[in-house]
This record gives sequence, C-alpha cells and structure tokens, in this order.
Amino acid sequence: MASLLQPDRVLYLVHGEKKIRSSLSTLYFCRYCSELRSLECVSHEVDSHYCPSCLENMPSAEAKLKKNRCANCFDCPCCMHTLSTRATNIPAPLPDDPSKTAMKKAYYLACGFCRWTSRDVGMADKSVASGGWQEPDNPHTQRINKLIEYYQQLAQREKLERDRKKLARRRPYMPLAFSQHTIHVVEKYGLGTRLQRQRPGAPITSLAGLSLKEGEDQKEINIEPAQALDEVEPLPEDYYTRPINLPEVTSLRQRLLQPDFQPAGASQLHPKHKHLLIKRSLRCRKCEHNLSKPEFNPTSINISSECQVLLTLTNPVESITHVTLVGCEEGDPEDINSTAKVMVPTKELVLAGKDAAADYDELAEPQDFQDDPDVVAFRKSNKIGFFIKVVPQREEDGDVTVSFKIRHDFRNLAAPIRPSEEDDAPTEAIWLTHHVELSLGPLVA
Amino acid sequence: MTPFMLRRIRNRLSKKLKSINKMSDKQNAQKSAKIAAGAVVCVESEIRGEVTIGARTVVHPKARIIAEAGPIVIGEGNLIEEQALIINSYPENIAPDSEGVEPKTMTIGINNVFEVGCMSQALKIGDNNVIESKADLGRNMILTSGCIIGACCQVNTCEVIPENTVIFGSGCQRRVQTERPQPQTLQLDFLMKILPNYHHMKKTVKTTSAVTPAKN
Repeated sequence: MASLLQPDRVLYLVHGEKKIRSSLSTLYFCRYCSELRSLECVSHEVDSHYCPSCLENMPSAEAKLKKNRCANCFDCPCCMHTLSTRATNIPAPLPDDPSKTAMKKAYYLACGFCRWTSRDVGMADKSVASGGWQEPDNPHTQRINKLIEYYQQLAQREKLERDRKKLARRRPYMPLAFSQHTIHVVEKYGLGTRLQRQRPGAPITSLAGLSLKEGEDQKEINIEPAQALDEVEPLPEDYYTRPINLPEVTSLRQRLLQPDFQPAGASQLHPKHKHLLIKRSLRCRKCEHNLSKPEFNPTSINISSECQVLLTLTNPVESITHVTLVGCEEGDPEDINSTAKVMVPTKELVLAGKDAAADYDELAEPQDFQDDPDVVAFRKSNKIGFFIKVVPQREEDGDVTVSFKIRHDFRNLAAPIRPSEEDDAPTEAIWLTHHVELSLGPLVA
Repeated sequence: MTPFMLRRIRNRLSKKLKSINKMSDKQNAQKSAKIAAGAVVCVESEIRGEVTIGARTVVHPKARIIAEAGPIVIGEGNLIEEQALIINSYPENIAPDSEGVEPKTMTIGINNVFEVGCMSQALKIGDNNVIESKADLGRNMILTSGCIIGACCQVNTCEVIPENTVIFGSGCQRRVQTERPQPQTLQLDFLMKILPNYHHMKKTVKTTSAVTPAKN
C-alpha cells in the first residue's frame, strides 16, 4: 500500500484552488462532485475529543470544562510520554492492631521511557490505582479568574456599544449581526469562538453564546490593578559561583509545558494530565457533503532492467471496471514533472470486481478475459499487473518521473435515491480521468 | 656416574619437564567457558574464548559472549537475553596479530540485565545496570551502578557514567533517577526453572574459588 511502503512514488494531480500533487493515500474522493480532493480543498471540523491513551470520548462541552485534558491519564514531565501506574507491596500497620503489619498495595506513577517515577518529585504513593493523583494548584488561579471575568464583561460591553452604533447607521432591515469588528473583540477575550466561520445561508444565531452573560446580573467587577514593586528580591550570593547540577536543570520544553509554575529544578516537575486529541470530519467545500475515502490504489512498482515497468492496479469496488491509460500529450499544462517518455498499453484493461468470497471458493471458474501477454503480466482476482515502457529522456542524476492519465468508469452506488419513473434503472457509469505521476527512482548507468 | 645412571636421570628429568609443560598448557588454554554451578547457560548460546560466568546468571539461547582480545568475567545474578552480544574485541586501530597488545579483562558485575539485541563492549560494568534492547556500548565506557542505557541508544564516549544515570531518547538525553533499578530476582528464578525444561544447558564447572570481580 502506498501509505506504508513508498508514499511518494505515485502522485495524483488534484484540481482544487491550488494544483496539488500527492499520493493517493492522502487524498479523498467526493462522491457527489466526482472529483479528487486533497486535505487543502476540504474544510476540517472538530468532531469530538478523545484521549490518546485511554481512548475515552468526551463531548466538547465537557472537554472545555476540563481544559482539554483527560481526567485519568498523565504525561511524564520529563519526556512527555504516557505515565503508567505501577503497584508495590508495602508493609503497613493494620488499622485494628497497630503492632501487626500486613502487605498493602501502594501505587505510583512511572514512565516506561525515561524511568521517571512520581517518587522522584516527592509525591507519596497512593492507595487507589486511579483518581488519587492531583495536580498542584496554581497560587494565582483566583486572580486570573477574576481578571478573565472582568475582561469578558468589558468585551461584551464594547460589543454592545459597537452594534448599537452600527445599527444606528445601517438600514433597518439588516439583522443584528456580528460585525467584523466585534468578532475580533470577542475573539480577543475568548468568548463565543465556536462561530468563527460563517456558513453561507445559515441564519445568524450568533448571540446565543452570549445571551447567558446578558441574562446574568450585570454586577460591576472591580479589579485591582497590578502593582509595580520597586524592590526586587536580590539574587543569592553564590549565584555565580555555585556549581551547576546539570541533571537538576530543566530543559525549556519541560519548563514551558507547565506554564503555571515553570520550574527551574527537575525535582519540582509534576506530571500533568494528558492533552486530548480531536477527531476531525472533512467536508467538501463545494458541495458541503462529508467526504468518503479514496477508491483506486495503484501500488507496488518493480523496475526490471529492460526499462519495462510492471504496475499493479487493484479494483476496490465489486463491479467490473474498465481502465484506459492515455499518455500525456505534448504541451499538456499538467505535465510538468515528467523526465521520461512512457508508452502505455493502448487497449482497455478490464479488472474484475472485488469478491471477498473468491479466495475461499476453490471451485469458482476463473473468468476468461483473454489477456494479451505482452500487456498483462498477471491477473489475480481483482488485481492486474501490466507493463508500460519507459524511455528516459535526459541523462540526469535525478529521478525518472513519468506521467499519464488514467481513465476509468465509476458507478456511484451511494448516490441519493431520486424518484424516477423507470423502476430500478441501473446507476449510470461516469467516466473519470485522473492525472498520475510515477516516480521510478534514479537512473542507473 | 655410569651411563646407565645418566640415562635414568635424563629420563626422569624429561618426564618431569613433560608433565610441567602439560600443566602449563592446560592453564593457558582455557578455551572453554567456566560456568559456575547454579548458572543457567543454554547450549544454543555462543560462548567463545575465556569466559567465566558466575552463579545464578541466566544466558538465553542465541546470546553471544565472545572473548577475543582478552577474557571476560561475568558476575552473579546477571540476565543476558537473546541476541545480546558481549564482546571483548580488539580496538579498531590494532590488528589482532600485532605484538605488544596485552589482553584486557572485561569485568561485569552482579545483577545486570542485558536486554534483547543489545551490544556491549564496555570493559567495566558495575552492578544493577540495565542495558536495554538494541543499545550499543562502546569500549571506553565504564558503567558504575544503577545505570540504565535506554533502547537503541548508542553511547560511545570515553567516560565513567555516574551512578543511577538514565540515558534515553534519540538524542541520548540523560537524567538521574533517585533509586536504582530493582534486581530481577523474580524473573531470574522463573527462568532458572523454565529454561531447563525447553533447552539443553551447558555443563557447569565446580569451581572451588568463586570468581567474583573486584568491586571498585
């Protein structure tokens, strides 16, 4: 498969806003537009949040409350790996009889990669396997929360004033919309950031996120301004002469991953909860439908010494597919990278459909396709191997690249059912053409 | 003296000389490994040269201990896993046959773990060290005790690694841990019971003097 072995050998050209050439494993195919789409031609949307180690799914609201962190999993503060919980048996006095000791389980966190343990920073072993670990509190939390509230109120007030001004100038039939300016103001202080992209044609319910704040009592929040101090704590006397204990010094990355404390010493590095990842959904920008995975997968390339290249084509759908290969003509605007001429087979290649049961059915009659042995090397269920001839044009040190066009038929079996007068009309086959570029590797003398 | 007596004296002298030569030959040609009683060394492991293995050490099949440029002395309680390579080889700039090369002994302490596929050429390894999978130790390293050389780390410097150091990551970052790694007693006991069920063992030699490397 292209994604595992040689991702950049075979490139497809995508006609989007930008012309992008990339391998099939990174492309998507929109069933409704019948076109290839790359990651840049689609819009990415956040679908859900999940933790990469415990795979727990979380709705977005809950994720926001927990600051996008998982409740159960921790990251090693030293190497950012996932921490695992280990247990030891320690003798502990029984609650009934202090003189006798029984073996109790004590749990501690340990990193399998750098061998950091929670005992290194002085965290005591807990008696419960999960849920006993707390992150240390930030001493400035209260002040920060107060500041956030104050600025949220300020942003809201500014927004209202601006909208009032705009409304006074605008004609009455314009809705009370988010003006561009207020969006920036809102974004500045972190309110309502879910509505950053306007959907065309969608009604503006933008004030929904803020209406709660309006409904609350508009109490005045006063904050004390930060006070500047004249005197700064002096450095210790041996600051310049004390020898550095290098293992104790934290690296910048370790320090900045804990923005609350930013400890300079490794003995104060506490583990943090693991950050959540998102699952994203892709949406075609033209037709606004969700995308599906690509369908064709040309795969492994073997270069033999006679400049004849064997290509393998696999048919992932269950119906018979006809494929024609056409070389690029002179002056083709898309043909910019090829450094060799290619002679593709002129006949049409027929690929059988994918049949999952064919592997197990020994008595199945092999379908008779009457292949030309000069063109078709082998045929196996839904795969075909065929030859193309490559003539390198230039004697250069770079890779030999050829390009050609694949034309195949495609039946959209998942198209929405349209009410039609004829009953059960077979789905129409449409012919699609893709521009393909193959990188065959360097020239050998 | 009669010629008869001279001949007898000569014969006795020659016999004594021969026996002395034989004894010294035996001492010089310890070409097989000296495996202490209690060690479990699988037959499929490759042990070449003068190698001494202490008690309670487990050597897995396909492990290789090769003493080319000098003897290797391995202490007790070590765990040498599959495809591990402990080799006392000539340094790269010295040909094997050149004169004046003194054989240096490689000493390995107790309770060390050589994980799968690691290679160690270090001349001195202390106690309780762990050399993880596919790690690579150069000849001029000296490991003290409690050191952990992480997986795939190639360390080829000329230095003494301080105690309880952990070397990890693709850039061979280091940190010091507060406690040394625990000796793998449970694992050793398990292996000493299970391995003889499935593999043939090399013969142990009852050595009267237990060979323990000098601790520094």
